[in-house]
Amino acid sequence: MNAVLLKKLTRLICELAVLFALFLFGSQLAAWSGWPIPGGVLGLALLLMLFASGLLKPAMLQAGAGWLMAEMLLFFIPALMSLLDYGSLLRDEGWRILLVIAVSTLLVMVVTAVTVELVCRWSLRHEP
Amino acid sequence: MSLEPMPLFWLALTLAAYLGSRWLYRRSGRYLLSPLILVPALLLAVAVPLHTAYAEYARNTHWLMAVLGPVTVAFAVPIWQQRALLARHWPALLLGMLAGSCVSIGSSWGLAHLLALDEAVSLSLLPRSITTPFAMPLAHDLGGVPELTAVFVMFTGVLGALFGGTLLRWLPLRTPLARGALFGVGAHGAGVSRAQEVGREEGSVAGLVMVLTGLLNLFAAPLLAALL
Repeated sequence: MNAVLLKKLTRLICELAVLFALFLFGSQLAAWSGWPIPGGVLGLALLLMLFASGLLKPAMLQAGAGWLMAEMLLFFIPALMSLLDYGSLLRDEGWRILLVIAVSTLLVMVVTAVTVELVCRWSLRHEP
Repeated sequence: MSLEPMPLFWLALTLAAYLGSRWLYRRSGRYLLSPLILVPALLLAVAVPLHTAYAEYARNTHWLMAVLGPVTVAFAVPIWQQRALLARHWPALLLGMLAGSCVSIGSSWGLAHLLALDEAVSLSLLPRSITTPFAMPLAHDLGGVPELTAVFVMFTGVLGALFGGTLLRWLPLRTPLARGALFGVGAHGAGVSRAQEVGREEGSVAGLVMVLTGLLNLFAAPLLAALL
């Protein structure tokens, strides 16, 4: 039982190390080239190329990638605490900001869903 | 107040609150107990009475944010796994993402100006519809405040996950593609969790569309910066 858990944990750490290495490499590449693209995005592109070339299989990174995406919330909680420095802003503009976010979010959801639905129905009708 | 004798206090509290809230949410399934809402609420409830500044909170916790870079790399896995879906439906998904992104940026900008919001706040609102690892660098490129953007992204997720269920009842959406895109473009990560509850295909579509919309917005940044 413990041996299985240890094996799983080692595997997770190895997968995470690969993803971190790709991120660091992407960041270096961004710094060398001067491209205005974040290192993470270059790492993502690199990983897609590795998948396409067959050198890596998505199953090899499933645990690590799944863990990072599942726990993503933990990694941006510190940014949320910036609210501590914006107390007066929130008192002055908080409700207006929430109104912008609420109305805009509703509009985005309706427009996106209706667009996708209409294009889908159109292409279903025009498929041979 | 300074917590000098306990330099790791905020890190420990953040981790404990996150793990506790995740456990509670899994057991109860109550939305108000989800880490997205409970953890910031709990941390603020401790930090505000102590008059803690953000810099002090961030001193030992900022490295958590550095992990958002590897998260971005990990997004390659869902893209690759859903490439068949993308190859089959790319026109519908691309048009939906383009329309949604234009409405998101346009309406955030328009409403922020209509309500006379602060310039830094308005700029930080523009990337609010995309997932945090993309939204923070985009806010930086546009001249906004990345941390404020993270806050707006969180509110978008909370509200979007709430609205989504109601919208699904009102809108006559027959395809899982449209239902998934609604959540993926409108409410990023929080929306993807909701979409997974609606159905498996909706969840896959939402996850794919969330990542692609983030990339699309990031690549549109130079164009957007030129327009502003």
